[in-house]
Amino acid sequence: MAERISSLLRRSVEHLEGEVPDSYRLLVAELGTMVVEVDVDGEVFSLRGGDRLAVSDGAAQTAGARIVTSRVTILDLLDARIGLGEAVETGNMSVRGSLEDVQRAHDSLLAYVHAAVRTSTQPGLLSELRAGAP
Amino acid sequence: MSATLARNDFLRAPMLATARPSGFKEWHHFVVHGRGLRLLINFSLNSEADGAGEVRLAPRVIVIAHDGNWTGAIERFDGRALNVSADLGDLTIGGNRMTVLPGGYRVAIELPDKDIRGELHFTSASRPFVVRNQPLGDGRISWLFVPRLRAEGWLRIGGREHRFEEDLAYHDHNWGRFLWGDDFGWTWGTILPAESGNPWSMVFLQTTDRSRLRCLSQAVYVWHHDEPAAIFRHAAVHMRSDGLLRRAADCTLPPPMRLLLDGEVPAVPERIDITATRAGDRVHAEFRSHSYARLAQPSEVRLDRSTVLCEAGGTARASGTINGEDFDFVGTGVFEFLYG
Repeated sequence: MAERISSLLRRSVEHLEGEVPDSYRLLVAELGTMVVEVDVDGEVFSLRGGDRLAVSDGAAQTAGARIVTSRVTILDLLDARIGLGEAVETGNMSVRGSLEDVQRAHDSLLAYVHAAVRTSTQPGLLSELRAGAP
Repeated sequence: MSATLARNDFLRAPMLATARPSGFKEWHHFVVHGRGLRLLINFSLNSEADGAGEVRLAPRVIVIAHDGNWTGAIERFDGRALNVSADLGDLTIGGNRMTVLPGGYRVAIELPDKDIRGELHFTSASRPFVVRNQPLGDGRISWLFVPRLRAEGWLRIGGREHRFEEDLAYHDHNWGRFLWGDDFGWTWGTILPAESGNPWSMVFLQTTDRSRLRCLSQAVYVWHHDEPAAIFRHAAVHMRSDGLLRRAADCTLPPPMRLLLDGEVPAVPERIDITATRAGDRVHAEFRSHSYARLAQPSEVRLDRSTVLCEAGGTARASGTINGEDFDFVGTGVFEFLYG
């Protein structure tokens, strides 16, 4: 059985904190105290900001931004088959929230990618993400 | 020529990176101007610090090819996959190997996860040239280049196998200590004639500041047969770029970097025009970009920036008079535009 997306994200941010602490702090600062609720193929979890990032299972009571997408779309983005704007425009990803919160979620995503590409462990997590694709 | 190559082209990392690892970089770069196919192969070593601040060499193998579209891969390996022979002439990264021979290079590519494999033998057809300690931001780079080689062998990429027989090629070897993302940019290019019997070869390099507004150094190197015929430097060279290529990059590598680059990085110029004059010699070269691939890596200066190398393939025409001999040829060019 494929590892849950929430579990992969939890391991990913833990690696970032240990491997690239400066980039991790930038990500923490970018997200602030916002909560982002994510729904990937019906698996719902939340990324919570604060002093440290926390990934918790289930829906968030109050979320600044809510993202709905699929594992296939995440892989398409990571494999550069589509761009982020294209994923939203084609309905493969929906993002809801106030303009300010959506902007913050977007900037946090970029900070997350900037951090992830500076590590050596993320490719292994990507392989596990890929293993769960239909 | 063979002795010159063997004497000058050897791995520097075991000496220089061991003595002072911080910021050290070294790579061997091969470009094949194949018939209908452009191929770039790169073996690179980059000093990188881990979370504990320990610096180690991160080996990578890059293979990209243009056959209708650019495609390829950047594979990063664990440091344990790296081996340099005792005589500094043999570099192994995983199943990939680059060997400096008395008169050329042997390259074996083995990236099974990307379905990329190949074996190529490059025979030097021109005398190598070394440029030392050019400034790049706060650092320095040295490079050795061989303007013309002949490539034999095969490569499987993108589900197709390509054969090389007497195809013209270019090689450079770079080493130095600098940071990706520091205040520099560059435009580099190799131009070779379409007709393999034509004796002229050209190499161009211009380094600038990051904004590409201030030129730091530039030179045009023209080889005739296997010898340098003319070298134009500094104010003797004028480079102008016109327009922007009206198409997106065929690919971005590593692919996740596309999330960071879309809408952020300028495209490649549509046309590059280079003129140079010195002591009765003159040369004019025009390169027209057709397509490009983006190779990206994290900035080492800013945690929220990336350094992007746009590898553009296209057509070229070069003409001029050197040592009283006129030349005028059409050919192919591969230009690289670095954005810090």
